[in-house]
Amino acid sequence: MGHGEKGRPSKRHKSSSKDEHKNPVVEDEDAYYGEEFEDDYRDGEKEGKKRDFTKLELKVDHSNRPLWACADGRIFLETFSPLYKQAYDFLIAIAEPVCRPESMHEYNLTPHSLYAAVSVGLETETIIAVLSKLSKTKLPKEMIDFIHASTANYGKVKLVLKKNRYFVESPFPEVLKTLLRDEVISRSRISHEGSTGNDGFTISKTVGEIEGRHDELINEAELAAAAEEKETHSFEVDPAQVENVKQRCLPNALNYPMLEEYDFRNDTVNPDLDMELKPQAQPRPYQEKSLSKMFGNGRARSGIIVLPCGAGKSLVGVSAACRIRKSCLCLATNAVSVDQWAFQFKLWSTIRDEQICRFTSDSKERFRGNAGVVVTTYNMVAFGGKRSEESEKIIEEIRNREWGLLLMDEVHVVPAHMFRKVISITKSHCKLGLTATLVREDERITDLNFLIGPKLYEANWLDLVKGGFIANVQCAEVWCPMTKEFFAEYLKKENSKKKQALYVMNPNKFRACEFLIRFHEQQRGDKIIVFADNLFALTEYAMKLRKPMIYGATSHVERTKILEAFKTHKDVNTIFLSKVGDNSIDIPEANVIIQISSHAGSRRQEAQRLGRILRAKGRLQDRLAGGKEEYNAFFYSLVSTDTQEMYYSTKRQQFLIDQGYSFKIITSLPPPDSGADLSYHRLDEQLALLGKVLSAGDDAVGLEQLDEDADDIALQKARRSVGSMSAMSGASGMVYMEYNTGRNKHGGQGQIKGKPKDPSKRHHLFKRRFG
Amino acid sequence: MVNATKGLFISCDIPMAQFIINMNASMPASQKFIIHVLDSTHLFVQPHVAEMIRSAISEFREQNSYEKPA
Repeated sequence: MGHGEKGRPSKRHKSSSKDEHKNPVVEDEDAYYGEEFEDDYRDGEKEGKKRDFTKLELKVDHSNRPLWACADGRIFLETFSPLYKQAYDFLIAIAEPVCRPESMHEYNLTPHSLYAAVSVGLETETIIAVLSKLSKTKLPKEMIDFIHASTANYGKVKLVLKKNRYFVESPFPEVLKTLLRDEVISRSRISHEGSTGNDGFTISKTVGEIEGRHDELINEAELAAAAEEKETHSFEVDPAQVENVKQRCLPNALNYPMLEEYDFRNDTVNPDLDMELKPQAQPRPYQEKSLSKMFGNGRARSGIIVLPCGAGKSLVGVSAACRIRKSCLCLATNAVSVDQWAFQFKLWSTIRDEQICRFTSDSKERFRGNAGVVVTTYNMVAFGGKRSEESEKIIEEIRNREWGLLLMDEVHVVPAHMFRKVISITKSHCKLGLTATLVREDERITDLNFLIGPKLYEANWLDLVKGGFIANVQCAEVWCPMTKEFFAEYLKKENSKKKQALYVMNPNKFRACEFLIRFHEQQRGDKIIVFADNLFALTEYAMKLRKPMIYGATSHVERTKILEAFKTHKDVNTIFLSKVGDNSIDIPEANVIIQISSHAGSRRQEAQRLGRILRAKGRLQDRLAGGKEEYNAFFYSLVSTDTQEMYYSTKRQQFLIDQGYSFKIITSLPPPDSGADLSYHRLDEQLALLGKVLSAGDDAVGLEQLDEDADDIALQKARRSVGSMSAMSGASGMVYMEYNTGRNKHGGQGQIKGKPKDPSKRHHLFKRRFG
Repeated sequence: MVNATKGLFISCDIPMAQFIINMNASMPASQKFIIHVLDSTHLFVQPHVAEMIRSAISEFREQNSYEKPA
């Protein structure tokens, strides 16, 4: 078994020997495999065609051009090209980044990414012209056709809220006519008798979209600045019908998706909020760039900005609010981050204390005056049950007010039905979503395109590391072999529900964890966060090592106290966090993460946890290439070998690998010659621990369930909670429930079926084996 | 009196030995194949079970490895 294998045998080892044996025995199965082979064969041929690039015409000066464009929509960018920066800015606007390692990036053109491109003001011809300018080869016809097809209708129609009246705007009168032929839309139209021109459209001159001169420059700043006069036609729609009109325009109906823009400078109805960025708030280049996408033509566009954790998302949010200078509703995921947002607003802007207020279950403040900033949580706004009188008053105020900006933090965690609710409750001119990780395990991320808006900007992690804006993290996967006794229990059928507890409590893992904590505390004086999703493990580890811990049930006051001690006290260098610490708890001091248990194969959780230590530390010159410290932050993921954890761990890393990170494998921790002074050195201690794990109830060793994480895989299992009537009748959207597809942690046997056996998904190297 | 039994000598790491022992334990009495557990990394088994063990282990390992879907 795996004798000749090199590298990472137990992860890559895929043998088809089993299949080969079965083949001659069972007739039917033989036939089945024959079929599969056929499929493989055909598939291989198709793939072969896709991989055959001999037809692409290479341009004479190809070495000066930075990218390869393939017929299937994939684009490869050389990062060592002198034109890299410009090409990157352009590509990130029109294509979805797939994988961005150090020297070569892969992008994919998708209808959504092109929609985003159009919405930031790029036009079809511009996209094609710039792309062919940058490409080493002649642009394949398929790609040009695809761009034409995808952008033909996007961005032709805009929904503008002006002086509290909704207008549908378009530079093309014929498009508006098409729309008005639709019954729903024509009924929603408000006609004015005065303006009976030939079409009845109001014609106005506006500051035009970015245009022209693209063939020469792809400079982002100039893109945003380029302005031209342009004629626009518009008609007014009934505010009550806006939702229906928008829906009719989606791709599955009329296919004229609307862009939403807010002309905040000409909004005289809503009172201005007197706030500005403080002079010391200097947005970094990429923050500037993301803002310029949002405010490209002097109006505010709705959309999502993707920046890695620690790269200063809050400054982007605060700057956006300062530019719009209207009332702003800021939504965060929990009470701790509400406090942090309020603090950020006060830190970066000149907002006065009485103009900003927090609205959480603990603090219900109300602002005086007619404009201000309210910071609250998604749950508070979307809450469906009965509220206290006081909060009812505040929510009424939120409902009745017209918000200039709806600022939404961590948009990736919030389920769609909650978004709909929040968006329907609050009337806002412009929506800005902020996130670090636009991935979900349930692939519902594309919904955000329509709920909030297109992705406006996404930063490249490695570029920010190189620029010294975020920490340079060494990622490592520590392999801990299972001890004999634990593995024997792990394999027993009757322990299928305790598998997770068994591999998390593996004494070798505990020892590795203790070793790492000691090393970093004593040798380097680092601040360490230990993450454990499994509550049983969290308490066991924290008690044994005598460290403070925070989990779901820890009160707000206590959390604040522990975090404060961790930040300031020199004796508190390690804290244990459950998954409450995944998002938005800001702990800039920490620079080491040890992950002892995690949430199945969630790529997002992995990235969010890494984000806790991404905030740049130390002096800038040390961090830049050639500085004193190559790595200044460490991310360890402890994995028990030969268990399901190996599967999850590889899956979890995919997002970070796509961002260009690589994981180093560390075996034999603690080193064989040391470790006698660590816990669980003796067998009887290990056995006592094993007994503890086995005697704990199944509930106790399971995953922690939080009210907040109404997202992807957490909800595989039904959980017990006090439910509302709407929840029981199924009205409170169970859309986000991911049903058990066999990846369930405790699924036992179901596990095997979860693997993609579809031949088309098999790696081409393995297809041969069926021959 | 010396008894000679033909068999297969298996050398593996600790967890895999446990895996094989567990496999043996889950079999009905007539199909049990372990002749002797020598120590935590060495086993002595019936000579005909090599392929079965091989395939069981590879299946087990397949379960624990993730391949990125193309």
